Amino acid sequence: MRIAQEDRAAYVAAGRSAMEAGPSWLKLDRHEALENFFRAGFPAREAEAWKYTSLAALERQQLHSPAPGVEFLPDGLPAGHLLGYGNGYALSRSSALPESMLGRLDAALARTTLPAAARFGTLAGRESMLVALNTALWREGLVLHLPAQWRVDEPIFVVRTIDEDGAMVHERSLIVLEPGAEATVVELCNGRGDYWRNPVTEIFVGAQARLLYVRLVEDGVAATHTGALFARQAQDSRLDVLSLALGGQLTRQDIALDLAGAGASATLHGCFLAGGRAHVDHHTRIEHTAAHTQSREIFRGIAAGRGCGVFDGLIVVRPGAQKADAQQSSRNLLLSPHAEIDAKPQLEIYADDVKCGHGATVGRLDESQVFYLRSRGIGDAQARALLTHAFALEACAAVAPGTLRDWLTQRLDGALDRLVEGGRK
Amino acid sequence: MLEISNLHVAVNGTPILKGIDLTVRAGEVHAVMGPNGSGKSTLAHVIAGREGYEVTAGEIRYLDRNLLELAPEERARAGIFLAFQYPVEIPGVANIQLLKSALNQVRRARGEAELDAMDFLDYVQTRLALVGMKEELLYRSINEGFSGGEKKRNEILQMAVLEPRLAILDETDSGLDIDALKAVADGVNALRSHERAMVLVTHYQRLLNYIRPDRVHVLAAGRMVKSGGPELASELEERGYGWLDTTAEVGEARA
Repeated sequence: MRIAQEDRAAYVAAGRSAMEAGPSWLKLDRHEALENFFRAGFPAREAEAWKYTSLAALERQQLHSPAPGVEFLPDGLPAGHLLGYGNGYALSRSSALPESMLGRLDAALARTTLPAAARFGTLAGRESMLVALNTALWREGLVLHLPAQWRVDEPIFVVRTIDEDGAMVHERSLIVLEPGAEATVVELCNGRGDYWRNPVTEIFVGAQARLLYVRLVEDGVAATHTGALFARQAQDSRLDVLSLALGGQLTRQDIALDLAGAGASATLHGCFLAGGRAHVDHHTRIEHTAAHTQSREIFRGIAAGRGCGVFDGLIVVRPGAQKADAQQSSRNLLLSPHAEIDAKPQLEIYADDVKCGHGATVGRLDESQVFYLRSRGIGDAQARALLTHAFALEACAAVAPGTLRDWLTQRLDGALDRLVEGGRK
Repeated sequence: MLEISNLHVAVNGTPILKGIDLTVRAGEVHAVMGPNGSGKSTLAHVIAGREGYEVTAGEIRYLDRNLLELAPEERARAGIFLAFQYPVEIPGVANIQLLKSALNQVRRARGEAELDAMDFLDYVQTRLALVGMKEELLYRSINEGFSGGEKKRNEILQMAVLEPRLAILDETDSGLDIDALKAVADGVNALRSHERAMVLVTHYQRLLNYIRPDRVHVLAAGRMVKSGGPELASELEERGYGWLDTTAEVGEARA
């Protein structure tokens, strides 16, 4: 529904300051995107993709563009490159990489000679109004652009904190790995207050390049997070995406991977926890466009209290994608009678020589496993906690064993303890 | 140690056990034999405390306590161990994690200090040797992808680690080839002691070629129809279960 004239002021003000700098093509883009958003407004529940998730509360909320805030660095962050953002502003940077490889997106786009700039916006498209609003209002942003064969060994941590009530922050990231480049990127979203975070990330993985991208959502309990991630892979590239949604009041992640080059492979793993009255919705779309492409999707969802989870996973195999191999698994666990999870796996196959499979389950803990552990002397609550942790941790398998996986496991374990504890009260 | 008297158990309202009496003393090994569907596994599960079994009459006393009042974990901590007929697979929980948590729970209940990681590993090594298991299996998820023989050996390993007072082995011999059977039997024999009692629940006599029981009981249609010494097992092997009068009075078959 269109945004009424009287409700536009906050967006116009945010847009005006975002548009102050930048090349003219970008200003034009932004202007158009804002107009589009005003015309179409927030996605409504009538749209199939928003059937389970309502943004009505967000629509009613008084929002504003915040001033630069602070960054919350979590305990035990492993060694690596570190970029800190507060309320969407770049606050700190600790990395030996040159700024042209790892730095602010606005600066990169100002130098139009950079090949990365030409890719900006090409995956995100114009269909989604949340993406349009991000396009209009993002500021500073993040770019990672690795030249061919460039390997960054240590993980690149991007900590994004928002700490103001009513703040709306539209974060924009562009990640480009030229052929043969390798990197690990961990985006951590945290904060405090009833803010709205609306990040858009575009990822290009060049031929034979490898990227592990982790989004760790630890938003504050009152926060809304609507995130969109788009990736395109060239031939024989490898992309591993891990989405851990452990916080926030309403979290929506739209993740779209396009295996566009022959021999490209991807894993998309996720784990979401929905306790209290939280609502966590993952919409994923994996497109096999080229031949001999492979994808593995594993999602684990756990809902407690009156929490609600949604997994909507679509796999599309295009006519040219012969010998494509796609497997999807969505398993979900309900820890309380009032919790709810909707799992909707979908396959659309337009090629004839493919291997595709999917499975989705929603259920409770397996009582025969609980009894087995209890029969060994482990108490009922401890047995259930052990099984719940084991269930969730399957999602972390995409990360190679080591410091990063240990740290992510710790974050997941901590959030799970709080969920189980909260569910028992 | 274990005294079962007049035990009646129903599952979903259907009577399965119809008046069982069984007394097992410390140091004794008893074999409970019987055809399929006789209630052998039900008896094993009721002793371990599995839910879904309704005790409609009778009682079970264990070390002079009312066993039926205890939760499964309390029974385990008090020294009862059930080796499962179908050991459960638990993806994501390492075997060693279970052994360590379980042992420390049991030790705490016995008033002993918990073992630290090094002492625990040393201890587990000695137990692995006892059952002839590869160390690699410690770090795998519990029973996940284990062969039938590995699963049964894993049960005996857990028993060896936890050192129960009363061990119930539910069809531990089923589905084993002769080497695995011998390995399991060696493990069991090594754990025989004058303080420990064992109940072997089995359909076939062949396990009893390797583990000599003190007493043999025949369970049929929910009743103990015959009890005797080890020679009873051989007789069953020769003649099958058909010659027994399964409608015999309970009183005649008391152990």
